Amino acid sequence: MAIETHPSKPLVKPEEHELARKRAEQSAIESELADCELRAANLRAELGAFERRYLHFVGSRYAELDELHAQVAEQVAKAQPDNPRAQQAARDARARANSTKSTAGEKAAQEPKPFQASPQLKRLYRDVARKIHPDLTSDRDDRAKRQSLMAQANEAYERGDETELTKILAEYECSPEAVQGEGAGPELIRVIRRISQARSRLSEIEAELQGLLRSELHQLKMRVAEAEKGGRDIVAEIVAKVDEQIAQAKRRLEI
Amino acid sequence: MESAMEPTEKVSANHIVPAERQGLVVRSAALVARGLRDLARHSNWLTTKVFAGRSPQAAISFRGHVCAVAPHTKGEPQRLVLYDIQRGAPALALTVPNEAMSFSSQLAAKAAFSWSPNAQFLIVAWGLWEPTLHLFDLQSKMFLGTFGEFAEFPRCMTWSNRGHYFVLAGSGGQASLSLWAARPGGTVLSGQPTSRIGPPDWSERQDISEAAGDEGTFAGYGRVAFSPNDSMLASAVEIKGEWADDSIVFVGLPSFKQQAVFHTEGHITDLTWGPDDRHLLYCAAGQAYRLDTQSLESERLPFGAELSSCHPHRALFVCFSSWLKNSAKGRLFLVDLDTMDVLDEHPAENVVDLRWSRDGSCAYAVTRDGLAYTYEPPF
Repeated sequence: MAIETHPSKPLVKPEEHELARKRAEQSAIESELADCELRAANLRAELGAFERRYLHFVGSRYAELDELHAQVAEQVAKAQPDNPRAQQAARDARARANSTKSTAGEKAAQEPKPFQASPQLKRLYRDVARKIHPDLTSDRDDRAKRQSLMAQANEAYERGDETELTKILAEYECSPEAVQGEGAGPELIRVIRRISQARSRLSEIEAELQGLLRSELHQLKMRVAEAEKGGRDIVAEIVAKVDEQIAQAKRRLEI
Repeated sequence: MESAMEPTEKVSANHIVPAERQGLVVRSAALVARGLRDLARHSNWLTTKVFAGRSPQAAISFRGHVCAVAPHTKGEPQRLVLYDIQRGAPALALTVPNEAMSFSSQLAAKAAFSWSPNAQFLIVAWGLWEPTLHLFDLQSKMFLGTFGEFAEFPRCMTWSNRGHYFVLAGSGGQASLSLWAARPGGTVLSGQPTSRIGPPDWSERQDISEAAGDEGTFAGYGRVAFSPNDSMLASAVEIKGEWADDSIVFVGLPSFKQQAVFHTEGHITDLTWGPDDRHLLYCAAGQAYRLDTQSLESERLPFGAELSSCHPHRALFVCFSSWLKNSAKGRLFLVDLDTMDVLDEHPAENVVDLRWSRDGSCAYAVTRDGLAYTYEPPF
């Protein structure tokens, strides 16, 4: 009687089986995290560009207006040295002018450009986020390095700098931290922790996105975009209103 | 009662400190909010709808809070409500212990309000409550108690600019001016008035006929205004009679003795002191006048006004007139009394109260119809 033989199956340890399952989960969450980071980076970059444009056209004018207000208040205070309210009003006006000037910053020579990311740039950023996201490592030193690289990547993305993003990615892939550790048990623990960190980061990004979407800056940006469809330029309208106030303040200063 | 709010903080003159690195939204939030506000504004006036309907009484604080008898909803009890004009929404309903629910519109229409100089405390007299003054702490949102019972409903009441005094002007033939003086270190008012002035001696019928040129009877004290340095109180003396004219009585402080009387033409609707402690702007029969309180010489100003409020340290008045030349429409406007320039006219109807903020950075007005106006001067 012939004896049938079956080719023997390679023996898979339970922790290796679990590791494979968790790696698949990690891969999925890495992908979700990268998408989420990309959305947040886009919103930040778009709002950042809009803010720069707003401060360039409107903020600089508010700084000029508050400076004129401060000068007028100082003139009044000088004329009424015994009037404590006039003195206080002058100090308040000067403090406000300084604060506005500081927020508006120096007016750039060039008009800030709106943010526009090409599909190639978005793909590249997503790859970077997926590979070097600080919440995808459990090693402390590696995390610090990733945080620094991620910050550089965010800035490069906002600038639309593809070369820099490629460089960051290449730099990390060649580093020793990119090499995976050995041993199923310890690796399983590492993967579980990375998944947990990634989930936590996803919640943080969601909260940040909600905050940005609720902000007055975003509301104004939406109003500007909506008005543009109807041929209105809301930023120009605000500029006109502030210019009117500047003209009045100048007349007041000349009296 | 508060003491005067003197400046304590010093701010460097021209040193610009770079802003700390902040989150994207936080960094520019103030300038974005300002832009959105400016977009909505017409000239230097910003209009906000505070409540729907019509209120019989409303007043506005130095900080832009409106206190009003809420417009009546059928079947609902009458309420006093504090509104926030920035948000255009109710902020607080004013209630007192053992308050009886009442639906009487007639009683609810009688209300008088007075804010302390920093707008923390509010004194209320209301026709639906006991005939006494009710004190609220708006910061802690607490009712603190009552003081100062009255027989006739107050015509007007006000806190002095530095918070040293509070005065109540009574109505009716036996009306008096009642003064509360702050106790050192005291923060709230209580008890009976520290001084009182009854009907003026010269308000006998015969004297009034001679002074005011018509038959008339003393009807009580009207609008009251403390001079900026709290050294003098001016109060309208209301004379009842179709052609009767009101007067202004000047009372020295802290003596609370009558010092002078000035007879005006027409019924007085508002009084406000100029920043120099010497000139008083008064509105009578729709016309604005400036009175030198030392020489008692009055000057008819080239504009009409029924309500007026003076900037805390400049001769700049925000005024309301319900009658606009050639159009019969009301307006709010600014007048620089140094140059007599009329600035920033803005259409408005039914304005019942006007006030500058303590620092003079904005002025507020409120109407019976729930509209609040905020004026931000271009200086």
